[in-house]
Amino acid sequence: MIGNEHISQEDLVLHTMQALSEEESAAVRTHLAQCAVCRDQVAELWGDGAIVGLSVPQHPVPADARQRLLDRIAADVSATKQEARGQVLPFPRKAWIPWAIAAALAVVAILLGVENNALNKELRQASRQASTLAAESAQARRVIEVLTSRSAQRVLLTAGKVSVEPTGRAIYLADSGSLVFQANNLRLLASDKTYELWVIPVNGKPIPAGLFQPNAAGDASVVLPLLPKGIPAKAFAVTVEKAEGSDTPTAPIIISGATTSSAGE
Amino acid sequence: MSIDSPNPTVTSERSSRNNPDPSDDVLLERVRDKNQQAMADVFDRYGGLVYSVALRVLKDPGHAEDVMQEIFFQLWSRPDAFVRGRGSLCGWLVVVARNRAIDRFRRRRPTDSPDDVVLPSNTNLASEAERNLLMAKVRDVLKELPSEQQKSLELAYFEGMTHSEIAEQTGDPLGTVKTRIRQALIGLRKALAA
Repeated sequence: MIGNEHISQEDLVLHTMQALSEEESAAVRTHLAQCAVCRDQVAELWGDGAIVGLSVPQHPVPADARQRLLDRIAADVSATKQEARGQVLPFPRKAWIPWAIAAALAVVAILLGVENNALNKELRQASRQASTLAAESAQARRVIEVLTSRSAQRVLLTAGKVSVEPTGRAIYLADSGSLVFQANNLRLLASDKTYELWVIPVNGKPIPAGLFQPNAAGDASVVLPLLPKGIPAKAFAVTVEKAEGSDTPTAPIIISGATTSSAGE
Repeated sequence: MSIDSPNPTVTSERSSRNNPDPSDDVLLERVRDKNQQAMADVFDRYGGLVYSVALRVLKDPGHAEDVMQEIFFQLWSRPDAFVRGRGSLCGWLVVVARNRAIDRFRRRRPTDSPDDVVLPSNTNLASEAERNLLMAKVRDVLKELPSEQQKSLELAYFEGMTHSEIAEQTGDPLGTVKTRIRQALIGLRKALAA
């Protein structure tokens, strides 16, 4: 399907369904960029995909979902207006949310007894991230819960005994499957690689908990990845995987940390 | 052709604008002008469908709502991601919802930008009444497909499995899996065109 040949319709179907391997999809995308004929076919197939999507049973949206969207939009409008005016305005009605989250993060930092500059940097980063999430009130409530719950497991992940090497901090609430992870001093990876976070359950195989790339300073975070609920963890770990991630961790483990019996504090 | 199942929990909250049922184009024009009520109207019209697609893939109401919220907020932030002439807004939302849900299911970064999703311009899914008829017809047609085609399409479209994974699960050759999925779509297209 490469070269001057058009891509087979079968492969185009799989491409629109994201059912090709990453390598195959990359080849298709390259071809589509220069082939109007195949692009037209893909458009038709996306139309077919839309039709298939219509077959799903219809469910009402969750209660308050509409209001949550409208609150987020209103916050966006308010922020935009404030930026445009370039002046300090009184707190908008919903502005307590980011401040509440920032406060929650500060409390957690104190409880954890972390006092170095690295944590301050981490806290500022987390606060900025939390501000972004502020309008998503449901999610924000989960962040506050996982950061403040007495039953949350708090684990420091380190690379061996070298203190200046990569570190990570995982805060995990098993009941709701909520996890907040922050890492520092990670080295940058090649574009075909990614870091992957793992929850090591008390029983069963490691559970993938999100792909991430550090910024130029080596900092990274994973907030509320998709995880099953009610899975107690005995450890957390980070590995380097291929760009699309993996279902099982690949050695070596970059950083890891085990929970303790007093993790619930 | 078209779909739309009005969400029973929000129908009563619909705007009582002068025109109670403005077209998608009109609503999108207002969204581009940052009209919050227009965005609420778009949500009322398609929120249930987007949520239902995400829920079908993710099987978790919380995660399905997250996907739904992301998509509608993105539409608010970047309404030009959907361009008129790229097919119906409804069809675009369905495809983006399905793709985003699959990405979330696989715990990976979005593989396709919404800007990449281009539908044929003759796909008309705007009318609510037609949408409901079409939804019923699509379900009927899918039920009539050969069971192996149904299974392959289901695993690829809703379960997010690659063709290799489907072949492994079903024990069928890769080529057979590909052919079945394509034939399922062709069968669906033909039946709806008839």
